[in-house]
Amino acid sequence: MARRLAAVLTVVLVGSPLLIASSTAVLALGAAAMMLCFLGILAATPVLVGGMVLALGEYTLALWLAGGPPRLAGAVLFGVVLVLLLETADFGRLAHRATLGPGLLAAQIRSWAVFAAFAGVGALVASTGANVTSAAVRLPWAPAVAAAGAAVALVGVALALSYRRLPPRD
Amino acid sequence: MTMRLTPLALSVVTVCAWGLVLGVLSGRAELAVVVLPLLLGLLRIGRTVAAREWSLARALSAPRVFEGERVTVTVTVSADGPVPLLELFEPLPPTLRLVSGHNRGLFTLGPGRSVEWRYEVECVRRGRVNLGTVHARFWDRAGLEAGETSVRLPGQLRVYPRPLPLRRLPGPRRMQAFVGNYVAPSLGEGLEPGDIRAFVPGDRVRHVNWRASLRFRQLFVTQYHQERNADVVLMLDTLAEAGAAPATTLDASIRAAAALVTGYLARKDRVGLIEYCGPFRWVRPSSGRAHHERLFEALLRADVMFSYVTQDVALVPRRVLPPQALVIAISPLIDPRFERALVDLAARGFDLVVLSPSPIPLVRRAMRPSARADLACRLWALERRARADALHRLGITIVDWDPAESLEAALGGLTPSRRRGVVR
Repeated sequence: MARRLAAVLTVVLVGSPLLIASSTAVLALGAAAMMLCFLGILAATPVLVGGMVLALGEYTLALWLAGGPPRLAGAVLFGVVLVLLLETADFGRLAHRATLGPGLLAAQIRSWAVFAAFAGVGALVASTGANVTSAAVRLPWAPAVAAAGAAVALVGVALALSYRRLPPRD
Repeated sequence: MTMRLTPLALSVVTVCAWGLVLGVLSGRAELAVVVLPLLLGLLRIGRTVAAREWSLARALSAPRVFEGERVTVTVTVSADGPVPLLELFEPLPPTLRLVSGHNRGLFTLGPGRSVEWRYEVECVRRGRVNLGTVHARFWDRAGLEAGETSVRLPGQLRVYPRPLPLRRLPGPRRMQAFVGNYVAPSLGEGLEPGDIRAFVPGDRVRHVNWRASLRFRQLFVTQYHQERNADVVLMLDTLAEAGAAPATTLDASIRAAAALVTGYLARKDRVGLIEYCGPFRWVRPSSGRAHHERLFEALLRADVMFSYVTQDVALVPRRVLPPQALVIAISPLIDPRFERALVDLAARGFDLVVLSPSPIPLVRRAMRPSARADLACRLWALERRARADALHRLGITIVDWDPAESLEAALGGLTPSRRRGVVR
């Protein structure tokens, strides 16, 4: 069930950039991303992350080709789908060849739905706030975002170094 | 239980970083917005308290079973507080095979709730199986953090060897003093008529043979053969084994021993067991249900124990190896030390039968078929035949048994040949 949900989310993730700009390059990137994502859902998270990286590339390419004003609602939806895809695929692997307790799947779906709603609303509010602020205050946004990206990458490296591998599931 | 970040957290961070990099490169604000839900997801880290608010209990449908039988394992998970996601894993020993259900489970529990988790296993091989530890992993709902612990739960399963079907058993040549099912050569109280003799005062009237008395006009009485039991000692060779579990020569030997134990005890015989490994282990001959269980317990723990020590059969106490006993040695005849013990037993005048489960078909089954393997097996078969002939020349009866075939068929040929050589 969780794997099917992850597969549906993959289709949404890979298909949404095609709605922005349906070019051959976007389609090719999307096909590669979809293949990797499906493989990742079945096999391992790093493969799925590879697929998501490609999907982000496809999204960026579609935005760049289409041009025009920022599509914030679509971006929020894309981000929520990214999180849910990671979590559902991970849960799908966890639940594979395991006895599932009563009410587990329903509780998990409820939790994802609640998170998606909160994250979506939170991201929309934050992006709208940023939009309003950017109209009022002129800041060099690109260097600021780059600095934030570097900070996130540093945190990621720190996490990777402090993280100790858990034993295999079975 | 300490909560630690899972690979999923690292994956989220990686996707975040990549999104920001693409945002900077493309100069599109949407990519920064895409990252926001991912970052909001990371805010859930550290919110789950890794309290041990749950407990486990395990129950087995049967604590003692035979090989090939199935057992249902029920694990009850009870929670005192909320448990968002609990993963339980029970590793199975190689002697158990999962038949239905899974030995890994995922549960979510509310306070005061409990849930039962069932799976069924098939007991493939005899032995004491210890289902001791359940590994538990406590996850948060998002799967970003997890903590691990192990819970020791008592759960011992005894898997006894499955006795092979056997109706006819090798008859002993010598009987014992107690009442049993064998017709003894000696005369006395019994059901089987033996001889006729003239009546003497003190004879019972119901023993008078009226037909003979009328013919000879003198009273004759019928004498009957006594019905006696026998002492049977099974000598199990645990010096070496061949083949792949659960179909090794030792497995076949133990199943045959279980069949012989069951058959002889059902005939009221006294049965003993000697495990011939480096140091001897034995069970004195006796009869009854309690002794049946004692012998099966001994068969349960019988295993190959390599040792350079070679004990002499003379070291076995007299009460364990009674002089009038039928000794059935069960051996694949791989180790020459066991052959020397057999020769020693035969020289001491024991009524000896050797049941030899052939290792060749068992080894062939475990090997990849090839011309070289065929040739090796043929040579091995010739060598085994030569060794069996050498023992046969010393007066030792050898029954070669292919464990893939019925034990009854293998022992069937033995019964008439032993009947011809009954010692009176």
